[in-house]
Amino acid sequence: MNAMENIQHKSPVLTGYQENIAAAGEDIPAEGSSKAVTDMVVLEELSFAYDGQHADIHDISLAIGKGEWVTLVGANGCGKSTLIRLMNGLLRTSYGRIYIGGIRLEPGTLGEIRQKVGMVFQNPDNQFIGATVEEDMAFGMEGRCLDAGEMRNRISGYASRLGISDLLHRHPQELSGGQKQRAAIAAILAMEPELIIFDEASSMLDEKARRDWLDLLLEMHNEARYTLLSITHDAEEIAASQRVLVMHQGGLAADLAPQELFRDVGLLRLCRMEPPFRIRFALELEKRGMMPAQQGMTDGSPNPGSEVKRIWPFSWSM
Amino acid sequence: MAIQLEHVSYTYDARSLLRQTALQDVNLELAEGLLTGIAGASGSGKSTLLQLLNGILLPTEGTVRVLDVTLIAGRKPPKLASLRRRVGLVFQFPEQQLFAATLEEDLIFGPLNFGASPEDAARRARKAVGQMGLDEALLSRHPLQLSGGQRRKAAIASVLAMDPDILVLDEPGATLDQVSRMELTQLLHRLCREEGKTVIIVTHRLDELLPYADLWMIMHEGRAVFQGTTRGLVDEARQLPGYGLSVPQPIQYWLELEEAYGLQTEEPCLSPSGLAERLTQLAFTEAKKARAYA
Repeated sequence: MNAMENIQHKSPVLTGYQENIAAAGEDIPAEGSSKAVTDMVVLEELSFAYDGQHADIHDISLAIGKGEWVTLVGANGCGKSTLIRLMNGLLRTSYGRIYIGGIRLEPGTLGEIRQKVGMVFQNPDNQFIGATVEEDMAFGMEGRCLDAGEMRNRISGYASRLGISDLLHRHPQELSGGQKQRAAIAAILAMEPELIIFDEASSMLDEKARRDWLDLLLEMHNEARYTLLSITHDAEEIAASQRVLVMHQGGLAADLAPQELFRDVGLLRLCRMEPPFRIRFALELEKRGMMPAQQGMTDGSPNPGSEVKRIWPFSWSM
Repeated sequence: MAIQLEHVSYTYDARSLLRQTALQDVNLELAEGLLTGIAGASGSGKSTLLQLLNGILLPTEGTVRVLDVTLIAGRKPPKLASLRRRVGLVFQFPEQQLFAATLEEDLIFGPLNFGASPEDAARRARKAVGQMGLDEALLSRHPLQLSGGQRRKAAIASVLAMDPDILVLDEPGATLDQVSRMELTQLLHRLCREEGKTVIIVTHRLDELLPYADLWMIMHEGRAVFQGTTRGLVDEARQLPGYGLSVPQPIQYWLELEEAYGLQTEEPCLSPSGLAERLTQLAFTEAKKARAYA
């Protein structure tokens, strides 16, 4: 037996084989497998270092299915923006593989992949190019050499979808924060990407614009055409999405449903988050023996359950 | 009075066709040592108002008094160096105020500029970095190599390092993670209570600042449509949607509670624990009463 163990340790072929078996049990598709077609994003053993030494992204493997709405969360400086910049080749990986829509990201496929991926950044001012909103929307399409009729169709179509038809002839700097963000998204949608990545795109919006923003995301998700990946610190936006990826110090710390995240105190602490106000409030009530109305009343307490129900029947299911 | 505005208006490009009035007839009085929250929809004049407070913008009408400096529309302003040392302004986008080759240089620039010794400036830089919870290892990095959240913390630290009497922050929490945002609010609250700083914060997240602010100001289309205490804001909360703001959840809950139990004169509890505690008390008292009558 000892001899066998020794052989296993010394034989790199055998060790590699065992790792493959181990990997097959997890949710990591092997290269060229059929799973890559239903997945919009596949990352395999991805690592990256800005200075070539200290890993800023450390061994991340994950898959995001077509049509999913995923949020990416984590403390400031944990590598969220770095990770998404790897996905469309704005940064080049040091180690590992990236597949977008089944195509492997490499120098030869960069153009094809960038057509599939649209990115919206935190400050829309950073991505306006045109002198009017219309020009700005046309810019990307011109780069793709679309014909004028098609461009006009897409501009009017997406502008009306985002409610900015009246703003097409305005200069981007004349718009309010919320309008600017809509114009930036319209320009991205006009390119008809399959994967849209938002890098804290809602962080500078005021409250009302943030609510409209959430409705817009919901609407886009329901259309089922887009895979949405959003970096955000906004608890409401996280709660509305389907799945949360939690990053910590360059690695993937968890992959779970939003409700689970808000219940997991340790994980929340790790990514420096707080649940939304109504959940924190409900947890505080629970501590004091007051249960939300739906969960029934507890024995022994003077029936505060009905009190909660009378005043505000909130629910756990968000 | 730390800050006093009398009939202040500000118009951008006042002498051209593009003239745009950002502030109209704003009156404001803020005593020293208070924490004030300013809210309002995008484009309501919040950022313009802040820039009047250390003389970056001069009023086109009216009078601005900050500490011992008076700025009167149309008159030549006095020397503003001391005002700028005493009023620290954190801009909306940190990229607008980071410029040096390393974070440390950025942080000591202010103190050196206002006459601190190099040792003192370095000490202040380290203290500010610690206050903002940034790793000292980042001091040697280029500011633009930092992540978005770290950059914002760096921008705030560079203002803290100057130890100003009045701290003015334009959406300081926008790109910070929630816990950093909360720590920042608590830090500012502490500076206000323990060191007597006057703190003014523009925010889109009223709910997070509600438990800490002494005073509130709501801006709408260049006018100050509300000024008063948190209690006053709760009373006026139903007007907020008209100003493009929604009623913050803690206030919504409190209003329902207030109505159900007639608490209109009470100081509102607006933190999750405070609100839960008050509700529990009320529910148990009511249950006791019900049992006594039964």
